[in-house]
Amino acid sequence: MILQSLYEYYGRKRDSLPGDGIERKELPFLFVLRLDGAFLHIEDTRQGDGKRKRGKAFLVPQGVKKSVNVAANLLWGSVEYVLGQPDPKKLDEQRKKGKEKHYRERLGTMRTAFRAEIEQLPSTVQSTPEVAATLAFLASDNFSPVMADPLWPQVSATGANVSFKLVGEESPVCSASVVLASVGRFCEGKSEPRICLITGYPDIVERLHPPIKGVWGAQTSGANIVSFNLPAFNSFAREQGTNAPVGKRAAFAYTTALNHLLASKQRIQIGDASTVFWAAADCRMESLLSQFFDEPPQDDPDQGTNAVKVLFEAPLAGAPAIYDDGTRFYVLGLAPNAARIAVRFWHVATVGELARHIRQHFEDLEIVRPRYVDRPFLSLKTLLVSISPLGDLDKLPPKLAGDFIKAILDGTAYPQTLLQAALRRIHAEQAKKDEKGRQKEHVTYARAALIKACLKSFTRNAGLNEEITVSLDESNINSGYRLGRLFAVLEKVQAEANPGLNTTIRDSYFGSASSTPSAVFPTLMRRNQHHMTKLRKEKPGLYVKRDKEIQTICNDGIDGKLGFQPVLSLADQGRFVIGYYQQRQDLFTKS
Amino acid sequence: MSKTLCLKVWGDFACFTRPEMKVERVSYDVITPSAARAIFEAILWKPEIRWTVTKIEVLKPIKWISVRRNEVGKVASADSITNQGDRGLYIEEHRQQRAGMFLRDVAYRLHAQFEVVDGSKHVHRYPELRNRFTPEPEESQPEHPAKYLSMFQRRARKGQCFWQPYLGCREFSAHFELVDDAATASLAEPPIPDSPSLGWMLHDIAFADAMKPGFFRAEMKNGVIDLTGVEVRQ
Repeated sequence: MILQSLYEYYGRKRDSLPGDGIERKELPFLFVLRLDGAFLHIEDTRQGDGKRKRGKAFLVPQGVKKSVNVAANLLWGSVEYVLGQPDPKKLDEQRKKGKEKHYRERLGTMRTAFRAEIEQLPSTVQSTPEVAATLAFLASDNFSPVMADPLWPQVSATGANVSFKLVGEESPVCSASVVLASVGRFCEGKSEPRICLITGYPDIVERLHPPIKGVWGAQTSGANIVSFNLPAFNSFAREQGTNAPVGKRAAFAYTTALNHLLASKQRIQIGDASTVFWAAADCRMESLLSQFFDEPPQDDPDQGTNAVKVLFEAPLAGAPAIYDDGTRFYVLGLAPNAARIAVRFWHVATVGELARHIRQHFEDLEIVRPRYVDRPFLSLKTLLVSISPLGDLDKLPPKLAGDFIKAILDGTAYPQTLLQAALRRIHAEQAKKDEKGRQKEHVTYARAALIKACLKSFTRNAGLNEEITVSLDESNINSGYRLGRLFAVLEKVQAEANPGLNTTIRDSYFGSASSTPSAVFPTLMRRNQHHMTKLRKEKPGLYVKRDKEIQTICNDGIDGKLGFQPVLSLADQGRFVIGYYQQRQDLFTKS
Repeated sequence: MSKTLCLKVWGDFACFTRPEMKVERVSYDVITPSAARAIFEAILWKPEIRWTVTKIEVLKPIKWISVRRNEVGKVASADSITNQGDRGLYIEEHRQQRAGMFLRDVAYRLHAQFEVVDGSKHVHRYPELRNRFTPEPEESQPEHPAKYLSMFQRRARKGQCFWQPYLGCREFSAHFELVDDAATASLAEPPIPDSPSLGWMLHDIAFADAMKPGFFRAEMKNGVIDLTGVEVRQ
């Protein structure tokens, strides 16, 4: 299904993707020629500055896959192939090894191969002005004006790909439409055609599939999804591509489509999985999906918030933004494994279902936020950073990010690891101080939102419907929630009774209060009496208010029972944290 | 027209590996006809019978799980095991980590028929004895299908099998149960209501014909894949 959907995507986008036997390649330097083949100057097509200088990309005949053999591309290549000039670094290496002569001979072969490729073109193509000029230049054998050009040292040093251009033309010779039209890779009939398992039609089996570039963590020269690179992977003594008959046309189509997606905006990086997504027909979700999960860019910090707004738009307001017309939407997560690519997840759903699940995710995440957080949008990265030790994403279990996004897209329960990791960070940072020695908030907006989303997702998938409100809920009688509220009030009383304190009960008791309340709360209540006494003497009005608050929380019943629980389950600990967070927000809101 | 036999098969994991993604395994969405055939063969197979799967019903929704496992990248050659060298393969030198996308919690109801074919080419192992004792005329006749039918039903009821049936890969064992009345079972435990498009699926491998794979266009209608008269392209 995966390759088939990519093949269909290629069919849909055929006009904007390179055709058969053509690829998009950066050519930083072009040799400008006159019509008679005389060399004029070298043109630099690079844009950007410093290290980020990239050459301009053109459509060129597809490069030949080579390892140690000599194989020339058609009308473009490195200067070793085009001019037979040695690469200075390689020359030094070979000189040291004493193999300089061998290298120079190889250069001669490369040059001849390059010319031979051009001469193999049909004569109609060879007689066009562009190709004729190129052939004349190559035949002249006089490359000293090239070397004399001021840009030559840069060309030679970087080993960049070059091609030719006629003076006055916009695009290089290798991109000329006559040249591209003559490139037909599928005409060779060396082996008999077999049924392709993507299309179902007979086609010649592709032995080595074109590489997929752009998967994070894989080889830079490209990796393959369909690869049988070791003998242990062969079946029935078959080799390479014959293990799975995929036709040349289909192989070209799906790899081009995937390379295009990986280079486009329709991709997000989730943990170690490079995720791409596309739809069966043009739809708005294709451009929106990355905005839901990515960090908003510097120049558009509201991107995430706006995207979520679009999602929640009521269908009544004119044309609905995302509505369900049954268009299929595909999400593919690819993980690297050296020269191979593993499929981490594959999700197919209609656009409406996907929108519904993502909407649910953002609804679950909604929680009251402190004043200093101006934007409510929480990207995936923010959520994961908030639960990783020292903010280092690498320290999280590697599959957590992938499982999280899968649960969001699926609408299934979030991984339990998320809740556990969030609570663990909170316990670890309960005594956290900033540089000035003041307390730093350990239940942050991101963590509280994530815990709330996890709890809602668990209960929803278990069939129950738990009500966790966005801000403080006075009527919630769950013991974990109430105890969290109580803890927040006790801490506030302590801070008010002793102004200027930089260590409160939070530093020592938060973890134990949330996991084993009955061991800790009696002590806390006793301490509280001393604080209350001090408060009654100094700020009697405030004393009355706090006393009432504590009584409301305790008397309405901690889960209808008297006394404190011996142990709280993980989910209840989550509710403790939410209660604490929401009560604190309420206490600090100026009424 | 032979009788259609029905088995209910279920397991915790399954991996019906796609041929193109065989290294970093990705499973097909549903059981392939060849894997279904293998389950029937695990219960009863003789050289005289050949199983053909006619219908597959998917009983549980399709769920996935991604697992990474340590495997080996080298094939031990026959020499290394028998005579020379280390007599085997040092796994730690050829470790390969392979990820896999497997199916989770699968359950299928499989319908298949068998036909009696000529098994005479499976000669006895002792040709010298064969010449000494001429076979009785009854021995060379093809068997009555009823014999194999009752054998299969008896074995499936008892839970007997030649080897433990598996769902695609040997490590994913399958539980099986003979279904006597397919119609009532279909009402009691109906297939899932989905009709996803499955594309071209592996139908089977033609072992006699240079191991050529055959593909067919899999269409699932309300959880049922009908394999009678399906076009197989090789």
